[in-house]
Amino acid sequence: MKNRILIVDDSFYMRTMLKNMLTDAGYEVVGEAANGQQALEMAAATKPDLITLDVILPDNTGLDVLKGIRQEQPDVKVVMCSAVGQEIIVNEALESGATAYIVKPFSEEKVLEIVGSALQVADSGSTED
Amino acid sequence: MKSREQEYREIFMAEALEYYDAMSRHISELEKDPTDEQALNELFRVMHNLKANGRAMGYADIGEVAHGMETIFGLIRSKERTFSGSLVPVMFSGIDTLGRMIRAVGDGEETADASVLLANLERLVQGEEPILEDDEQSATDEDATRKLELSDLVYIQIKKLDHLLNLVGELIIDRDRILTLSQEIGNPALQSTAAHLFRITDDLQYSVMDARLVNVGSLFNKFPRVVRDVAVAERKDVELVIVGQDIQIDRNILQIITDALLHLVRNAIGHGLETPDVRRQAGKPAQGHLTLSAQTERDDVLIQVTDDGRGIDVESVRKKAVERGLVTAEAARNLDAGAVRAFLFEPGFSMAKEVTDISGRGVGLDVVKLAIDSLGGQLRVESVLGQGTTFSLVLPTSIAVKGALLFELASRSYAIPLMHTDSVVSLWPDEMHVVGGVLMARILNENIPVINLHDLLHSAEDGLLAAASKSDLMGRQDIIIVNYNNRKLGLIVDRFLRQQDIVIKPMSKPLDQIDLFGGVTLLGSGQVCLVLDVPALTRLFLAKRP
Repeated sequence: MKNRILIVDDSFYMRTMLKNMLTDAGYEVVGEAANGQQALEMAAATKPDLITLDVILPDNTGLDVLKGIRQEQPDVKVVMCSAVGQEIIVNEALESGATAYIVKPFSEEKVLEIVGSALQVADSGSTED
Repeated sequence: MKSREQEYREIFMAEALEYYDAMSRHISELEKDPTDEQALNELFRVMHNLKANGRAMGYADIGEVAHGMETIFGLIRSKERTFSGSLVPVMFSGIDTLGRMIRAVGDGEETADASVLLANLERLVQGEEPILEDDEQSATDEDATRKLELSDLVYIQIKKLDHLLNLVGELIIDRDRILTLSQEIGNPALQSTAAHLFRITDDLQYSVMDARLVNVGSLFNKFPRVVRDVAVAERKDVELVIVGQDIQIDRNILQIITDALLHLVRNAIGHGLETPDVRRQAGKPAQGHLTLSAQTERDDVLIQVTDDGRGIDVESVRKKAVERGLVTAEAARNLDAGAVRAFLFEPGFSMAKEVTDISGRGVGLDVVKLAIDSLGGQLRVESVLGQGTTFSLVLPTSIAVKGALLFELASRSYAIPLMHTDSVVSLWPDEMHVVGGVLMARILNENIPVINLHDLLHSAEDGLLAAASKSDLMGRQDIIIVNYNNRKLGLIVDRFLRQQDIVIKPMSKPLDQIDLFGGVTLLGSGQVCLVLDVPALTRLFLAKRP
């Protein structure tokens, strides 16, 4: 089974890049959300294996979205995306249950490496139940 | 095809210009009210995005300026700085600089040196006073030199685009007329002008059609919510996969199929997918899969709704079609699965055993079919019992102009939309057989009924067609194989003319009463040409076959 990924970013440019990178690598991008509200709705509807989550979104912070998703879907892996300069939020996100983070601008290799290893975490976690 | 780099660049530019507009607006708001948190948050977010996108594109200067600005807006958010004093002109000048840099990138030019600005931003971050140049200190000078920049994107009412497209349609008809006249007159200067006019109007037509295209995603992305709600109401566990959001299609076509797609998705969840218990008993995963996909297929767009549910039971559809008198029991036995499934699109034909909250509101697939027909599209269904069902919508990319096959019948020209044309063949009479009063041709291992179009168009209002006989056929016959609702039908015509893009216009009264024609088009010769409506013709044939 292909791993299924939801992309959350308010920039269409970033979503397009991420989607191309992930799709080329054989992942299935099940949706793209441009704000927190959409992200929560689409996460609930598409039940992805992994979510790439921008830390700064128009309606609320990525942190709020992370917490919202965590409540509903404790198993989903969340990779935070952030440009440099937002290390504080990233740290907080990791403490709130984010699996990993990517710093923008990112290279394709880096994205695939981080997403790949985040999904590994997901696999070992799900064998317990 | 556009390269990916080019696509990224275009998206980057469009978004960067939007960001520039947004930051110009919000900084003015912030100047009026330095405590305006919403404006501040937006400025912060926009800078953050511009920084990230700029760096990803390799525009280091934009990234660096946006980074400095973001940091300072961040400090204002955390109340470590206020939007006041010498900070204000630096921030304004920062936004102006970003605007210039974005435009330079758009024009393929080098971005100007920003070291003075960057130094000032760094001083502000460190809590030092910026060193302002004369023009930054004096707001009046700054205002006088600042250029007003308008966004490169405009929003336009679809009504205006509709009007534009109609005008282009009229223009094309006149153009074809002029082209034909110029050939008749034979003046070289007129001919070369007409040829030029031809190319320009062609370009114009495609530009207008292009302006109306939107991403299929603008409709698809509304479905996760729909699927979730329907799944909850139907007590199904459904996973939705969306594919091909980037495929482009005319906005009005997307509008027209919205209800049809909604209906198909509700149907798939309500009737197609089983409940988790039933699925488990059938050895399937408890969670049902629903895929909404779009792809381009030649000049058309193919939209598919696929579920991995119980599939369509062809035998029970066959039985029901006979019960409803749509077909005789004997004829029903000989129909293949595709032809049987086509009965699902007949008016009022519903297979639902029970009415459910969501999908059983008395609206059948015939409504879906009508919507697709009205666009000149095709609706197909494929299904494997126990494994699932796929509904396919083949839609034109654009509405105004359709590819058509022109042919002649009793010295008149007719057109038939290519969307409904399967193939054209020329057959000798001994390559056809009469079965049950109907002429049949075997083409690519398929038996297809063939009818002389002239007989069909001039058949008596009531009563059946006369039984076919091969003795009426003299020599090789030109036959157009049309396809509607999985039913193929061969139409014998006098002569094939050519393939051509036509602009279909609705018929004026009282001709619009005749539903065998979908409209008229004017040929370059000035001749009026009737456009055949394949769905209506197929229905007429089925009703009147001997």
